[in-house]
Amino acid sequence: MQQLVNTLLGGLTLGMVYAAFALALVMIWRSTRIVNFAQAPMAMVTTFIALRIIEAGHSYWLGFAAALLAGLLLGALVERVLVRPVEGKAEINAVILTLGLFIVLHALASVVFGNRYRSFPAAFGIRGMEVGDMTIALTGFGIFTILAVLAVMGLLVLLFRFTDLGLRMRASAYNQEVARLLGVRVGHMLTLGWALASLVGSLAGLLIAGGSLVHPGYMDAVVVYGFVAAVLGGLDSPAGAVVGGLLLGVSLSLVSGYVGSELVALAALAILMVVLLLRPQGLFAQARERRV
Amino acid sequence: MRTRHRRLAGAVSILTSLLLVAACGAGGRSDDDGDGDGGSASDVGVTADSIKIGGTFPLTGVAAPGYSEIPTGAQAYFDWVNDNGGVYGRSIDFEVKDDGYDPTKTSSLTNELVLQDQVFATVGSLGTPTHSAVVDFLNDEEVPDLFVSSGSLQWGDDPEARPMTFGWQPDYEIEGKIIGQYVAEEMPDAKVGLFLQDDDFGEDAELGVRQYLDEQIVDVQRYTSGNTDIGPQIAGLQASKPDIVLAFTTPSYTALAQLVSLKLGFAPQWYVSNVGSDPALVGSLLEQFSEGAVPGDASALNGVMSSEYIPGIDAQDNAWVQLWQQVWDAHGAKGELTNYRIYGMSWAYTFVQALQAAGEDLTREGLVDALEEVGSSLEGPNLAPYRYSDDSHLGISGLQLVQLENGVGEPLTDVLVTDIGDAEIATDDSGQADDGPPDGGIPDVDAVD
Repeated sequence: MQQLVNTLLGGLTLGMVYAAFALALVMIWRSTRIVNFAQAPMAMVTTFIALRIIEAGHSYWLGFAAALLAGLLLGALVERVLVRPVEGKAEINAVILTLGLFIVLHALASVVFGNRYRSFPAAFGIRGMEVGDMTIALTGFGIFTILAVLAVMGLLVLLFRFTDLGLRMRASAYNQEVARLLGVRVGHMLTLGWALASLVGSLAGLLIAGGSLVHPGYMDAVVVYGFVAAVLGGLDSPAGAVVGGLLLGVSLSLVSGYVGSELVALAALAILMVVLLLRPQGLFAQARERRV
Repeated sequence: MRTRHRRLAGAVSILTSLLLVAACGAGGRSDDDGDGDGGSASDVGVTADSIKIGGTFPLTGVAAPGYSEIPTGAQAYFDWVNDNGGVYGRSIDFEVKDDGYDPTKTSSLTNELVLQDQVFATVGSLGTPTHSAVVDFLNDEEVPDLFVSSGSLQWGDDPEARPMTFGWQPDYEIEGKIIGQYVAEEMPDAKVGLFLQDDDFGEDAELGVRQYLDEQIVDVQRYTSGNTDIGPQIAGLQASKPDIVLAFTTPSYTALAQLVSLKLGFAPQWYVSNVGSDPALVGSLLEQFSEGAVPGDASALNGVMSSEYIPGIDAQDNAWVQLWQQVWDAHGAKGELTNYRIYGMSWAYTFVQALQAAGEDLTREGLVDALEEVGSSLEGPNLAPYRYSDDSHLGISGLQLVQLENGVGEPLTDVLVTDIGDAEIATDDSGQADDGPPDGGIPDVDAVD
């Protein structure tokens, strides 16, 4: 019983992080139709920035804020400088570009931050809660993780649904020509979209690092699982990304605990294949796609 | 909207390749070294005043923490020997290659060492998965492959198949046997859990442990190196309520296991394999966790049981450790003397002994023959004798169980020796553990005929 509860709770916390990461992928996909594989090393770099600041003796929250800000800037920079020139060209160009960026950031991080495993602090307790005589795997930091992702989701919904800026961003993503005709500065909106996505990715990086070990490759698996979660939920659907992340987190945790940890990556691929075969639009696609 | 699917398909195929690459990269830890015997007259890599040797080590990457220090220790000792006139007037030139713990790199770098740098032997090369990739090549080329930095059985259990390869540290099977017998005798009613790396490391150890504890084992959990989410595995162990968990893990996973156990409120007695229990390294990995929940120093592993087979940095009064300190002070690179550096110095010492035994007319075949002939009687920092003979190229034959307290291993047993298979476990009576180093720190082994 305790094992099941703890395996589920572990999966839930991890699923929240996948959800945040899937959300970041979905935001970029919606606005520019690019799957940003470089999201993982981007989040890794910002997490290392936080670690540097914390190691220099500053507070955890200063590092946390700096990482989010760095994520925002890095996202904007990448879109402005690297992605903009390939926009509107063959789609494979952008994908290759993000993969190249993936490798470059990895190499740079190894040089700048070193290649060894390092521990990353958690803001809250890392001991599980005691319920009766049983310890359950819900830590202070785990609760923070869940709340933080829910809060970010809420804020994004508010932004896109209820603000003028959100409307303009959605218009740019939906139809650049028309949005331009209506006076929306589409370029700015795309930059902002990438910046926000990168911020959410950075948050995921910080959350999964908290109370665990980081090294330059620590986010690589997360981009894979985040992508599966996003496809599971429907690449166009933010709510789907979150539900997909949770489903995936819990499923993989169960596979790891009751079948074998060596099958986790395989299970993720199997889920991906089943979704693509049976329901390629994902579980939560809002509208049937129009046939052209 | 067809475009969307095409893009998605492209992304999926790329993702699939990424996953495959990640899966291939997810090796475990290990150490390896290899060298073969070529066997012609004064041989490849040997001149009147030098001997060229090489080795592959993870200087970068996941396995680099700790392990990257091993060749720096060996280099310091070789410098010490060279400063004292070398071996038969030949100085030792040690070429270190960084394979990043990636077997494909190990292959190309070992090719380079053998074919291009023309080394006489490889020494100390590190890692089970990495060295497995080159051990047959080295034997085919008849290059002596000495003192692989790994406890896998394959370096020494079949000298006919791999006549050039020698192990050095105690293999994981005898470590498993010794802790298995200890638990069976001292805690006959204890329920035992195993936490194993899912490769040779865990397999060899389980083989040894099961000889004594088969009945007492209530659960076995395996982690895949590279996947840092071990919550489900520890939760599985916890569910079987073991009194003691035997962990055959690398340092990073020792730290993760301690951390996740804290999260789950799981507090069994732990035994952590020698390779995964360096208190300074694990302590530094755990250093930053919040609220003082995990002490950030060597005391992080207080109360944990482990094993030792050479004197370590905690034994400051030991004459060997004092020698290593002198060597490091004289020739060390930057940084402090650590257990990993001592490990490198210790096999470097054995290598110098082997060169002396091989005599002035140094050949690859002569080196291997000499090790087989006198290897079991070589006296060095090892607590128990080596097992080298015609029938076995396995290294140190035993170890001492200890309990860690503030980074110091308090002995739980005498030095216990055994061999693979159903060999008995006995208290070592060779006196190896009491030997001090020779004056000047250079061994003096007579050449075999």
